[in-house]
Amino acid sequence: MHPITRLMCTSILAVLSPLTWANDANAQARHQWHEGIANGYEALSSETADLNMAARKYCNAPAPDSRKLLEAAWLDAFLAWQRVRFVDFGPVENNNLSWQFQFWPDPKNLIARKAAYLIGNDEPITPQVISQSGVAVQGFPMMEYLLFDQQLNAGDHALPAARTCELLTNVARHAKSNSDELMDGWQAFRPHYLETDQYHDTTIRAGMAALEILEERRLAQPMGLRGNGKRNPYITDAWRSGNTLMTVEATVDGLRQFFLPGLATLLEAMGKSDLATRIRKQFSEVQQNFPGAHLPMATALNEEDQFRVLQSLYVDISQLATLVNDQAAVALGVVRGFNSSDGD
Amino acid sequence: MLLNRRALVKASLAGGISVGLTGCSLLPGKASGQPDSYVGAVGLPDGSFGVSAFDRSGSILWQTPVETRCHSGCNRPGMGETVFFERRPGWSFYVFDATAGTRKHRVGAKAGEHFVGHGIFSTDGRWLYVTASRYEKGEGIIAVYDAEQDYRRTDTFDLNGIGPHELTLHPDGETLVIGLGGILTHPDYDRMKLNLETMDPALLLMDRHSGNIVGRFKPPHHQQSARHVSVSNSGRVYVAYQYQGPLYETPPLLARLEKGTLREYRFDEDTQIALANYIASVVAHPENDLVAAASPVGGTAIVFRGSTGELVNRVSIADCAGIQALAGGDFLVSSGRGKLVQLGAATPARELADLPVHWDHHLV
Repeated sequence: MHPITRLMCTSILAVLSPLTWANDANAQARHQWHEGIANGYEALSSETADLNMAARKYCNAPAPDSRKLLEAAWLDAFLAWQRVRFVDFGPVENNNLSWQFQFWPDPKNLIARKAAYLIGNDEPITPQVISQSGVAVQGFPMMEYLLFDQQLNAGDHALPAARTCELLTNVARHAKSNSDELMDGWQAFRPHYLETDQYHDTTIRAGMAALEILEERRLAQPMGLRGNGKRNPYITDAWRSGNTLMTVEATVDGLRQFFLPGLATLLEAMGKSDLATRIRKQFSEVQQNFPGAHLPMATALNEEDQFRVLQSLYVDISQLATLVNDQAAVALGVVRGFNSSDGD
Repeated sequence: MLLNRRALVKASLAGGISVGLTGCSLLPGKASGQPDSYVGAVGLPDGSFGVSAFDRSGSILWQTPVETRCHSGCNRPGMGETVFFERRPGWSFYVFDATAGTRKHRVGAKAGEHFVGHGIFSTDGRWLYVTASRYEKGEGIIAVYDAEQDYRRTDTFDLNGIGPHELTLHPDGETLVIGLGGILTHPDYDRMKLNLETMDPALLLMDRHSGNIVGRFKPPHHQQSARHVSVSNSGRVYVAYQYQGPLYETPPLLARLEKGTLREYRFDEDTQIALANYIASVVAHPENDLVAAASPVGGTAIVFRGSTGELVNRVSIADCAGIQALAGGDFLVSSGRGKLVQLGAATPARELADLPVHWDHHLV
């Protein structure tokens, strides 16, 4: 080869290789995301299967031990959901599956009203009834209400009352069926996800949205840092069972496990390894400094020393959101817009 | 949506508090006798909402706060009033003095109804037609208000369908052109779409006096939500869809009404992908054959010829949504990042202004 030709080829390669590299990184990131989310959905499916069994066992033979196991199974399954909650695209959009798993927030207390209606009438509570009862009935918050609501537990309909058990077991079955549908749907979605370039931005936006919701709606608002300034535990996740902070922790953990690897791949391919490292470090910071996750939100909001702990968590998550939503997203050219993320 | 506070505060600090015109002294005027100011619903850096008007020199004429996020509006012909509608589920619309921006009326939705963000006046400026929903039953309606009686509600027209959105007035002055999105929502369930499997969208034509539906035209796919509409001066009706199926499918998103059917425009694959199954607004230019459409999801605005479907311009504008026809044949496109961009067939897109606001979907 003539030197000039060789030189030209080298130049062309020099121009092409970053592009090729970027395309490889995009493909690799999507593979990582798909696989990670598949693992998350598999865990959700497995945990909801356990929850379904635990609900049946308890209602067949109510006892303190089986109740304890049921409550633990509910929490494990709900936390498995929290880990994949950031995924707002793909099969989880079908039939509003995301809303079915978790109807939230519930400012009108529809969950309690729907439960009272279903428990209070004489019609058998069947899988069909659950399917037709709307998202406030169909997921984890309804089961939490049946297991943990103080008012319900103090009355005649407290578990293991027959109607309440009927509702609980059918909702558990519904969640199990939805989890299986989601897992199967995610596998069937694989070729589309890997082949369609737009899912690159979609996935990054999903992680960004989850962090923004975490920072603003799951922490800042209940902490009274927005709006009327009043602290309000009742707009948090899992307030009835006192597990709010565990759900926050699980969401962060899910993002770290299933979202971060693909994001880091993209940043590193762009020569932004420093930023990837800082994001990894910030995830660790959040998790290492996490306040006692068993601290109920009501306590954290009411007691000033605990509130300070919550403030530290908020600052940690806020810093994480800044790194991902501002710096990484800007570096990757991904925008969450006023109109694009919530238009009409 | 949750406003991204960090980005917004930074943007507003960087942008100052007035309109920053970039590289020109005057914004172009609007086409065909429209008022010489531009009005849009905005999100503000502190997370609050307003309606904002600016003139051709780029000065803010007024910016009036509103309680919740508004969506679109309309000018009352000859009366110096501008009306803006809260976005879905909208519980009020607001009547502003178009010159001073003072709020003259706040009109609440009737019990059991909510507005969806759009309305249009009759040409004499008396009757205001507003798309709305009876949300318990999911029934789409046109609510009619008499502007001469302080916007008293005078009539209701049934649409026999779910989810009306934008409406406009045909140049015949008698026919309302209505986008029926087909999506069922209920305020108890936030903005959740409750009937994606059974949607039944349509483009509707309605006699504005009797409320009789004189035309109902359905897109080929039941998930092509027919939400935005425009009519050219010659009476050609355009409709824009938001496709509710998966992103890896790229069906047509725009159509014109021709010989009793919806004739769809399909652009090249790259353009279809760039539009991301979502059109936020469509505007037919009153001076020529051009039509503009904007997709904030795809960050893409296009201009095409209405008669042939020939794509004549496509530009990337992050979060673009609002469109206004300009005198001379071009369009003005607004974005959720405060940009105003001039776009036409002959010249490259030109950024005219960068403001510290989020422009909502429509520019009036």
